[in-house]
Amino acid sequence: MRFDAKNLLAFVIPVGLIVVWQGLSLLGEVPPEVLPAPTDVVAAGWRLGASGELWSNIAISAWRAGVGFLIGGGIGFAFGLANGLSKLSERLTDPTLQMIRTIPHLAMIPLVILWFGIDETAKIFLVALGVSFPIYLNTLHGVRTVDAQLVEMGRAYGMTSRELFFRVVLLGALPSIFVGLRYALGIMWLTLIVAETISASSGLGYMAMNAREFMLVDVVVLSIVIYALLGKLADSVARWLERATLSWHPAYLAR
Amino acid sequence: MTARTLSSRSFASRGLAAAFSPISDRRSGEPTRLSVAGRGATVTLRGLSKAFGSKPVLKGVDLHIPAGQFVAVVGKSGCGKSTLLRTILGLEAPTSGDVRVADAAPNVRSARIMFQEPRLLPWARVLDNVVVGVGDRSDKAAARAAAQAALAEVGLADRAGEWPSALSGGQKQRVALARALVSHPRLLALDEPLGALDALTRIEMQTLVERIWREQGFTAVLVTHDVSEALALADRVVLVEDGAIALDLAVDLPRPRRRGSPELARLEGIILDQLFNAGARPGDAEDAPERARQEVYA
Ligand SMILES: Nc1ncnc2c1ncn2[C@@H]1O[C@H](COP(=O)(O)OP(=O)(O)OP(=O)(O)O)[C@@H](O)[C@H]1O
Ligand SMILES: [Mg+2]
Repeated sequence: MRFDAKNLLAFVIPVGLIVVWQGLSLLGEVPPEVLPAPTDVVAAGWRLGASGELWSNIAISAWRAGVGFLIGGGIGFAFGLANGLSKLSERLTDPTLQMIRTIPHLAMIPLVILWFGIDETAKIFLVALGVSFPIYLNTLHGVRTVDAQLVEMGRAYGMTSRELFFRVVLLGALPSIFVGLRYALGIMWLTLIVAETISASSGLGYMAMNAREFMLVDVVVLSIVIYALLGKLADSVARWLERATLSWHPAYLAR
Repeated sequence: MTARTLSSRSFASRGLAAAFSPISDRRSGEPTRLSVAGRGATVTLRGLSKAFGSKPVLKGVDLHIPAGQFVAVVGKSGCGKSTLLRTILGLEAPTSGDVRVADAAPNVRSARIMFQEPRLLPWARVLDNVVVGVGDRSDKAAARAAAQAALAEVGLADRAGEWPSALSGGQKQRVALARALVSHPRLLALDEPLGALDALTRIEMQTLVERIWREQGFTAVLVTHDVSEALALADRVVLVEDGAIALDLAVDLPRPRRRGSPELARLEGIILDQLFNAGARPGDAEDAPERARQEVYA
């Protein structure tokens, strides 16, 4: 009972703000062309949902985010593992990767448009680029900081390299990898919003930009809310995964 | 064989205590307990030297450990005890000389090491940590059964499903002991495994180690700072000093040994004398006798 009440506490301020917002809108204090009432935003969502436009835009945005994330995350993860395990690989690739990392990936937008137009490739490329570095850095850090004593124990107890990798190194690096994962999810949405806003003919960012042209403020606000919800959803999935795989970790034991 | 200060007294005249203690009349150097004699590995080091870079740590160590013997290695911090142990186990390659375990090349499956820290995998349950020690893990069910039996042996059968972080320090070390023993090694190397435990837990663990050693008959090499621990457990105490064996003392006393018996005190005196005589070099703050004394008793 107590626990429930504590959980509800988190909602007091957001719900309060929405109520105030709705009240001010009804009183005419906030003109609808500046900020439409929450009910109008919900109505816009209903309208676009019924026409199917909303779902197709969410689907295409989620697809871009997912594919970009898999490609960029996969590359970052692979380099992180390789460079964490092999000095040779690290000497060969780490300086270059660190150099590329210093370029803000959104600064590449003009170039990416020149290369790929407003094709899907452009968005996926940007997302992949943005996502790969946090995953790379945190995987590398995780693998490097795996307890050397455990690795030695594994060797002394006759683990094969394969066993050593899967049972000691990878699991030891997992907490750090999750830090990278959650950070990368944030960058994924950010990159996608910017890319879709600047150059796209579909997706949530396009929906918002298109609505702006027609002064449909309710749809603009709706897009922002949906971005926020999707971001929260991704983060929750990552948290859940973290909790499920790190249940051994003292930080998660008590919960 | 090395030059040894073997005190081969006969205990035949020791009366009742000897009569009730089946292993009281064994002498170090002889294979003991016929039923288990075959289970221990023989360790032979010949002219073993080990240097890290240009820094020599071991300088031509000769040592023969017969099957089933319990040898304690004592010496000051940094004298190369761990290095000696790790070289025997094949975790370090000797710079020169050779190491033979059971007349074969160092074999990871027949030798196990217990470290100063438990070194349990925090992400594996207690039982799975013990499974790590099973030599042949291809049969999962058999491996788990063996691990469960080893846990029962150290008195932790009921904690099999827990995470290591839920155990106390002494319990973790017992899990580590189960992991080391589950494959029934022929050689067990112990690198100060009890150093971090409180005095009571330590004595409990010593009793446990001794009991299991007597049951299983493996060869045991125990590195320790604690001379009384060495004397409580070992058939033979080897003192390493300056990269070589400075003293090789047989401890032919009946088991279980009573702490504080005059005979133990006498042997302890011999070892401590040797430690401090060499340790009292002037101008060497690290080796100040006061410090060494504390360390030895720590
Ligand atoms: N991997 C290594 N690289 C370089 N030097 C090493 C290495 N391992 C050990 N040494 C050196 O070898 C010497 C002996 O180390 P060792 O760990 O064997 O000592 P020890 O007798 O076990 O000490 P302690 O009782 O404190 O554990 C030390 O001077 C140490 O600095
Ligand atoms: Mg040591």
